[in-house]
Amino acid sequence: MKRLWKWLRPDKHPAIERNRRRFAEFDRDRPIENCEFVSLDTELTGFNHRKEEIVSIGAVRIRDLQIVIGDNFFSYVRPTKSIPKDSTLVHRITTSQIKTAPPLQEVLPEFVDFCGDALLVGHYIALDMAFVNKACRNILGARMENPCFDSMRLAYAYQEVQRRSYYDAIETRMSYNLTELSKRYRLPLFAKHDALEDALQAAYLFLFLVKRLQAAGCVTLRDLDTVGSGSPF
Amino acid sequence: MASGNNSRAVAPTLVLDFFRRILPFSELSAATLADLAKQCVIAHYPKGSIILRQDLTEVTHLHIIQKGGVKEYIASDDTMVSLKDFSGEGGSFGALPIFSGKRADFNVEAVEDTFCFLIKKEAFLEVVRNNPRFGKYYLEAFSEDTVGAVYSELREATVRSRGEDAFYLFNLRVRDVINTLPETVSGRETVQQVGLRMAHLRVDWLLVKDETGSVVGTVADRDLRTKVVAEGLDYDTPVVEIMTPSFRTIPAQATCFDALLRMMREQVDHLVVEHRKAIVGVISAHDIIVYQGAAFLYPIRDIESQRRISGLYAVSQRLPMVVRTLLTEGARANNVTKVITLFNDNLLSRLLRLLTDEIGPAPVSFCWLNLGSEGRKEQTFKTDQDNALVYEDPQNGIDPYDVEEYFRTFADKAVEHLQACGYPRCKQKFMASNPRWRQSYSVWKGYFEEWLLHPIPPEVGLARIFFDLRPCHGNAALGESLREYITVHARGNDRFLRYLAGDCLLASPPLSFMGDFIVEKDGKKSEGLDLKVRGLSPFVNFARVMALRYGISETETLARLKGLTEDGHLSQALYADAREAYEFQVQLTLVHQLKMLEAGLDPDCFIRPVVLSDLERKTLKETFAVIDRLLEQVQETFGLSSNALS
Repeated sequence: MKRLWKWLRPDKHPAIERNRRRFAEFDRDRPIENCEFVSLDTELTGFNHRKEEIVSIGAVRIRDLQIVIGDNFFSYVRPTKSIPKDSTLVHRITTSQIKTAPPLQEVLPEFVDFCGDALLVGHYIALDMAFVNKACRNILGARMENPCFDSMRLAYAYQEVQRRSYYDAIETRMSYNLTELSKRYRLPLFAKHDALEDALQAAYLFLFLVKRLQAAGCVTLRDLDTVGSGSPF
Repeated sequence: MASGNNSRAVAPTLVLDFFRRILPFSELSAATLADLAKQCVIAHYPKGSIILRQDLTEVTHLHIIQKGGVKEYIASDDTMVSLKDFSGEGGSFGALPIFSGKRADFNVEAVEDTFCFLIKKEAFLEVVRNNPRFGKYYLEAFSEDTVGAVYSELREATVRSRGEDAFYLFNLRVRDVINTLPETVSGRETVQQVGLRMAHLRVDWLLVKDETGSVVGTVADRDLRTKVVAEGLDYDTPVVEIMTPSFRTIPAQATCFDALLRMMREQVDHLVVEHRKAIVGVISAHDIIVYQGAAFLYPIRDIESQRRISGLYAVSQRLPMVVRTLLTEGARANNVTKVITLFNDNLLSRLLRLLTDEIGPAPVSFCWLNLGSEGRKEQTFKTDQDNALVYEDPQNGIDPYDVEEYFRTFADKAVEHLQACGYPRCKQKFMASNPRWRQSYSVWKGYFEEWLLHPIPPEVGLARIFFDLRPCHGNAALGESLREYITVHARGNDRFLRYLAGDCLLASPPLSFMGDFIVEKDGKKSEGLDLKVRGLSPFVNFARVMALRYGISETETLARLKGLTEDGHLSQALYADAREAYEFQVQLTLVHQLKMLEAGLDPDCFIRPVVLSDLERKTLKETFAVIDRLLEQVQETFGLSSNALS
C-alpha cells in the first residue's frame, strides 16, 4: 500500500525545487550571527497522531540575532476534515476562522518560500517538522531541506554548561516545556497555543540561549548543531 | 529574500501594544505607530553586556527597553566611573547621539537580562521631523508639552469621575469678566441722589469722582446704611463725606483667581480694575463666582463669619475639599499652596481675635509668628504647628509677670484650639506654648544674635525654621523688625552661612528609577522616597541659604529664587528649571496627601514609584538632576568641598 502512495506522489512543486537547490551546498562553518533563522510553530487539530492536521502556522524571522518582528508569517489552514471540539478549546480557534481559511495547498508553498534559505528554529521542532514535511511530501512532492535547531535541545546544552561552570546541583526534574523555560529565564511571556505567539516565544528563548552558548565558546553553526544534538544527561 | 512580498504577514501587535503604553510613542498617530512597529527589531542583551560604548559605538538605533534594565555611565581615564542614569521597562537610550550625529555619549550596560525594541536611526529621525512634539520629549527637560501632560495626568489621578469640563479660573483674566465701565458719581452729589442713582442702576456700589474727574473713593450700599441711616445723618450730606476714601485695585491682566484671593485677603467685595493707570471697570466676587462656579472657595469666607472658636473646628475640615476642587480644576501647586496659606492665615487670625475677645486684650502688643513651611507660605496639608510669639518689652510700670502670665494663657489656648482644628502639635515643640519660643522682642533678638554669632551645628539645623518666620497676626512691625535683623546680620556672616550651606549638602537626591525602585547614586535600591526630605527640602534649603547670603528678605522659596535671579545670583536657565522642578514636587506631594486624607490616613510625603506613571517618573528624575545643579552652586558659592556631598 505504501509503495502505491509513492507512485501517487505529485511532481515537485517549484517552491520545493527552489528549497532543495538552496541547501544543496550548505556551509556549516559560518558564524552563528551571520545566519538567518526562522522561528516557527504549528498548531494541530488534535492529539490523535494519525489523523492530525495543521490548523495554523506561525513564523518570524531572526536576522543578525535580532527578531525582525514585522517579517512574520501567519495563517490559519482549512483542514480537510472537520476539527474536533476539544482542540478548538486549546487553540482558541473558532470554526468560522477555519472555514474561511485557505487550504494547506495554498499556504504551504508560501511558507516554504517565506523560510527561504533560513535555518529553522522551534521548540521540539521535530514534531512540527514531521507534520510540515509530511504535508510537503504529499502536496509539494518533497520535504524541506532547511537544517533545524531545537530550542529544547539548546536549553539542555545551556543547562549542561551551567552545571559544568558552576557545579550546580543537577536539576533532574526541571521542566523543558516552552512556557516553563521562558519563566525560568524571565523572558517576556506570550499567549500559549497561538502559532505566531509560540513562534515568538521560541524566538526569544533561542536568542537567550544562543547568546549564552556563544559566550561558552559556540561560534559556528556546526558548534551549535553539536551542542544541540545532546540530550539531557 | 522572501520578506518583501509576503501576504501572510500580520501587524506586530506585541510592539504596537507596547508603544501605545509608553511616552512619547503614545502620542503618535496609529498609522505612524504601525509603520514604526513593522520596522522594529528585537534584540537581547544578557546581563553585564555593554550595549553602547562611550565614544566608540556609532548609534544606529534608538533602543526601547521591553524587559530588563540598563545603566548609563561615563568611564574616564582614571577608571573613575560616574553613574548617569538607570532605565527600566519603557525607558530608552541612544536618542541624543542620534540627534547629534555623534558616537555614544555614555556606556550603556545591561544590569539585567534585557530585551530591547530597536528603531532605525533614519526611521526615528523621520518621525521626529514629522512630529516636533515627539522629539521634544527626548531633547528638553521640562519641555512645555511634557510638563503640561504630567500635570493633566496628576489632575486625572486626583479625580477620575469628573470629565474635562472647562474651568477657567486660572486662565481667565479679569479683563475678560468685566463688561461695563464703572458707574460714577460726583463727590458733591447728596447721599439721597446717590441712593436714587444706585436704585436706578440696580448696583450697590459706585465710584466717587472729584471736580477734576479723578476717582477719590467708593460709596457702597453699606456706607448708606451704617453712616447715614444708622447715624441719622442728613440726606443732603455730600457723598464725599461718607464715602470710603480708598479702594483696592487689580490690574486688568490679573487672573480671576488672583482677584478672588485678593478680595478674600483684603476682605472686600469689589476691586477696581486698572489698565495702564486708567480705571477700566470693577469686578466683584459675585461676578467671578457666577461666571466660574467658584463657590468652592466659600469656606474661606465662612471663616470670618464664625462667632465662636468651636465653629472654626468644623470650617477647618473643609480645606481638603477646597484643595481637591482646585487640583481637579487644574490649579498649579503655587496657586494651591496660596489658597491653603490664605485659608490657614484667615483661620488663625479669626481664632486669635475670638480668643482675645474671650480672655481680654493683651497688656502689650504682640505678634504671632508662623515658622517653617507656614512661614514660607508653602503649606501642603495640615502640617505640624510651627509657631512662636514675640511681644513688646514691657515698660512704664507694666508688670512683666502679668505679661508672661497673659501670653502663657493666650498661647496655651491658641495651640490647643489649633490642634482641635486639625493642626497637630509640633513634636520638637516649636510652638508659642513653649516658653522658650514665647518671648519679648529683646530676648528674640538675643536668640538670633546667638545663632548668627555662634553657630553650633545641631542648633543651626534646628534654628533653620526660625529664619523663615512670617508675622501672621497682631503687631506685624515686631515680626518685620526681627526679619529685618536677620536679613541685615546674616548677610555678611560667612561662618553662619557656611554651616547652613553644609547642612544643605547633607541630603543629595537619588539618581533615578528602575522598575518599581528608586536607585541611589551608589546603585542601591529602595522602595520609596520621602519627598519632603529628599525632594522639597533641598530646594527650600538652597533658597534660604542663598537668600540670606545675598540679603533677600523674602521667605517664600519661589520668591527667594526669583529675587536671587533678578539680582544676578542665579542663572535664568537654572531658575526656570528649579521653579518647574519645585512646583512639580509640591504638586506630587499635594495629590499624594489628598489621596491619603480621603482614604482616612494621616498625610505623609512618602512616595512609592510603583504608583507613579512613566511620565511622573521621568519628570521626577529630572527634578533630581536640578537639585544636583543647585547643590553644585551651593558648593561653589560657599567654597565647600565636594566630599561634603557623600
